[in-house]
Formats: sequence, C-alpha cells, structure tokens
Amino acid sequence: MSEVEDDVMLRATGLSLGYGRRTIIADVNMEVRRGQRWFIVGPNGQGKSTLLRGVLRLLPAPAAQLWRHPQLMRPDRIGFVPQRCDLNPTLPTTVREFVMLGLVGRRADRAARDRRFAEALRQVDLIDRIDANYWSLSGGQRQRALLARAMVREPAVLLLDEPASGLDLTAEDALMRSLLDLNHTTGLTWLFVSHNVELAARYATHAALVFDGAVHAGPVGDVLRSDLLESAYGVPISVAQESEGVVNVHIGRSGPREGATQ
Amino acid sequence: MISEFFDSWSLFADSYLAGWLVAALLALVGVIVVARDQIFLGAAVAQASTLGIAIAMIAGAWVGESIDEHTLAGGMAVLFAVAAAVVTAYHRDNAKESHEATTGWVFLAASALAILVVTHSPHGLDEVQHLLASSIIGATRSDVWLFASLGVLTTVGVGVTHRTLRLLVMDTQTAAAMGVRVGWWSLVIAVWLGLTLGLSLRSSGMLYSFGCLVLPALVAKSTCRTVGAMFFVAPVVALLAAVIAFVLANHYDWPPAQAAVALMALLMIPAWAWRRWRGA
Repeated sequence: MSEVEDDVMLRATGLSLGYGRRTIIADVNMEVRRGQRWFIVGPNGQGKSTLLRGVLRLLPAPAAQLWRHPQLMRPDRIGFVPQRCDLNPTLPTTVREFVMLGLVGRRADRAARDRRFAEALRQVDLIDRIDANYWSLSGGQRQRALLARAMVREPAVLLLDEPASGLDLTAEDALMRSLLDLNHTTGLTWLFVSHNVELAARYATHAALVFDGAVHAGPVGDVLRSDLLESAYGVPISVAQESEGVVNVHIGRSGPREGATQ
Repeated sequence: MISEFFDSWSLFADSYLAGWLVAALLALVGVIVVARDQIFLGAAVAQASTLGIAIAMIAGAWVGESIDEHTLAGGMAVLFAVAAAVVTAYHRDNAKESHEATTGWVFLAASALAILVVTHSPHGLDEVQHLLASSIIGATRSDVWLFASLGVLTTVGVGVTHRTLRLLVMDTQTAAAMGVRVGWWSLVIAVWLGLTLGLSLRSSGMLYSFGCLVLPALVAKSTCRTVGAMFFVAPVVALLAAVIAFVLANHYDWPPAQAAVALMALLMIPAWAWRRWRGA
C-alpha cells in the first residue's frame, strides 16, 4: 500500500445505506484520512446516525462501496462514544470498572491493560477519580469517562454520536478540549455526529452535511456554505470564510459567532 | 441446633446439597437478570416452567410407560422455561412492545393455563400448588450432580466472559458498537436462564427458585461497588442464607425453602441501610 493510501482510513464511493429495503442515504462519496476531524452535521432524522452505523458495520454495506483501512476491518480498533450511556442508574459501578469495559474484544496482557487504562484517564483528565463511584461524577465528567472508555481501546478512528448533547458550555468545552488534545498529540481521527453547525465550524477540518437523502462531504469550508446550510436547515444562515481556515457562522438573526477550523 | 442438623444429614443430605447448589447457581444467573432490570422475567419464566410441568402431568397419561414421568416433567419444565425466556428476549431486542408487557403476558398466560390444564386431573391442582409453594425435600443424588455441573459450567462461563457480560448487561448499545453479537448473546443468556430456572423449579419449586434468582443479586447490588463484585457476592449471600436457613428450619421444623427465601428477603433490609449509609 502506498504512503498516501496508508493514510486513508475510510473511503465511501457511491455508498447507499438504509434499513431493509428503505434507503436512507444514497451515493455517499467521502474519503477520511488519518488525523482529520470530521463532523457529520444535518437536521434531525436525515441520516447522520445511519452514516455512523454504516461505518460501524452495524448496517450492511458492499465492500466496493465502503473501503476501510485494514486496521478498521475489526471493530476493536474503532472507538465509539454514544450520545449518552444507557446504564441502569441503580447499578453500582466505579470509574475503573466502567472504563475497563472498553477493553472488550481487545487482547492485551494485564500490564498493557493497566497502561492503556491510566493513559486514557490521563487524556480525559479523570486520573484522580479512578476509584470514584461513576454516579458521583458530573454530567461532563461522565461524558469524559465515556471518551476514556473509547480511548482505552487505542482506536484508529473515534466515532462520536452527539456526545456534547445535553452538556452545559463548561462541560462541552472540557470535552472538546480533550478531543482536540487527542487529535493533536496522537493524530486520532474523529467522526463526530452533531446537529450543532457552530461546533462543527469551530472544531472540524472536514464535514459531511446530510439532508434529503444525500451527503455533501469535503473540507469544512467547502461544505459549511450558506447555500447548502440554508437548504438543509430551512433558516437563513450566513457563513463567512476567512484566512487561516476561520469560518464565521451566522444563524438566523443572532449575532455572528466565530469558529476556527484548524 | 447444629448437632440436630448433622443428625438429619443422613436423611436429607441430597436435599440440602441440591438446595444449596440451586441457591448459588441461580444467584449467579440472577446477577444478569437483576443487572438488566428484568426481575419480573424470573417470575414469568418460572411460571412458564410450572405450565410445562402441568402439561407433562396430562401428557404422562397419554405417553404411558414409554417415558419416565420424572424425565418428562423435567424436560417440559426446561422446554417451557427456555421458550418463555427466548420470547421475552426477542421482544426486548425487537421492541414493538415493551419488555414489561411481554413479560407480564407470559406470566399471566402461564399462571392461568397451568391451573386450567390440571383442573380435571386427580392430583393435578395439588401438584401445581406444591410446585408454587416450593419444597426442596425430595431432591435426589442425580439432582445434586446436575446442579453441581451446572454451577461449574456457569461459573466458568461467567469467569471467561465476565468483561463482555458486564458490558452487555450495563450498556447494550456500546456492546453492539464494539462488535459484540448482542442478539446471539441475548439468546444464549435466555436459554441458560430457562435451563437453570426450569431444572431448579422442578426440584425446588417456584418460590425458592425465584427467590434465589433475584434476592441475593439484589442484596449484592446494594452492597457492592461494582457489577463485577456482584458476581462474587450474590452466590456467597445465597449459599450462606441457605445454609443458615436450613439449620434453622431443621431446628424449628419450618419448611426450609420458605425459611431460606424469608432470610434472603430480610437481608435486603441491612443491605438497603448499608447503601443509604454509604450514600451510593
């Protein structure tokens, strides 16, 4: 495999995904490379999570339409952070037990497991809460514990399904900083599903806008365009692209907000 | 009190051993049931198993001597228990109806049919009442070996797959995303629950089986800090409670199954108090 090809983690070519005979999204063309930060955005119910499920191999996709890097052929190199954890709140668990569950399906000796565990908790800044009751954590800390559970797998690609949904601004900021640090220090590739265009403008290098059964994918400046966003969301949205990858998103009548994409 | 118990050993050894092994086995399986918040499922599966035994009583008259009565009852108990567990598991994973609704339907249908089926059988109603009330007296040496084998198999299975099992019972969605075959696992768990509960019910009755399935796991849930620890604590609680209850039952001439369930239920009170005190 060439150096360039080795850099490609995922390539969709004319990909169609759906449930049974019902196609939800069709003709998806996108190429995800190592270290890129992808945001999958779009209105609710348009197929963002369907695209994620396709990548996770939870939906059937012909090999000719969806190529995955050999590292991703097994699910053990894919990290997944759900929107929320459906944990039964009456179940007792600690941060240690919760995060260690991320090692399911990964073969490693005890020393390697302990190293990954400590590293994952350090990465999300929960190292001092190792033996804390999971339920004593704040909402933001729980989301970071979810992130640690994904990171303990040492994933090649991290898939995030609206992990910032329901978090206050402080918790959202802490989560996004953790993710950005991971991207900068380890070159971790993200696929981040979100309905929040402003968040995408601030943190994405690339975006996939899903609406009307189609996916518009590419560098964030090419996708987060006012014409596409207005078609998708049906509200006035202005986007101003500036130098150094800075994108300004202006939704409706609210004031302009700035997001840096690099 | 203890010496009296040992005096009775030669007469009731198989019953005591079978009762203790059933308690530990079901407590281990019960951790999965309790962790998935499917407590009522245990009652429904046990009731379906009772229906299987009731049908076996009627079928016994038709098949005559060709099949041993004991074997037929055991087989039907397991068959109905497995079927009920699989039906409810299928409905959990393909949620057209709530899990509680399906479980409730299984429980009520099995309860009513078990009585209707044996209404005109000479001793049928007595037999079903006896099953529901529970008695461990009458267990045989083969029951002891059977439950010992199931206990070893279950312990080894839980030990080998403990991490996957914990993820499954705690967070099914993420388990699926991590490549765990959730549907296959649900089927295996349902079959194993039906098998262990069906066989236990035939030997020890519904009250004892259902009690051992849920109460030790509930005590463990209130006293442990992790789900992993529950898999150790629940069988130990069940075994200790059953040993103490059988000794007390022998001394005071109480029915041992009811004494054990009552003791396990009483243990819930300090367990809840402990949890509240810890602030967990």
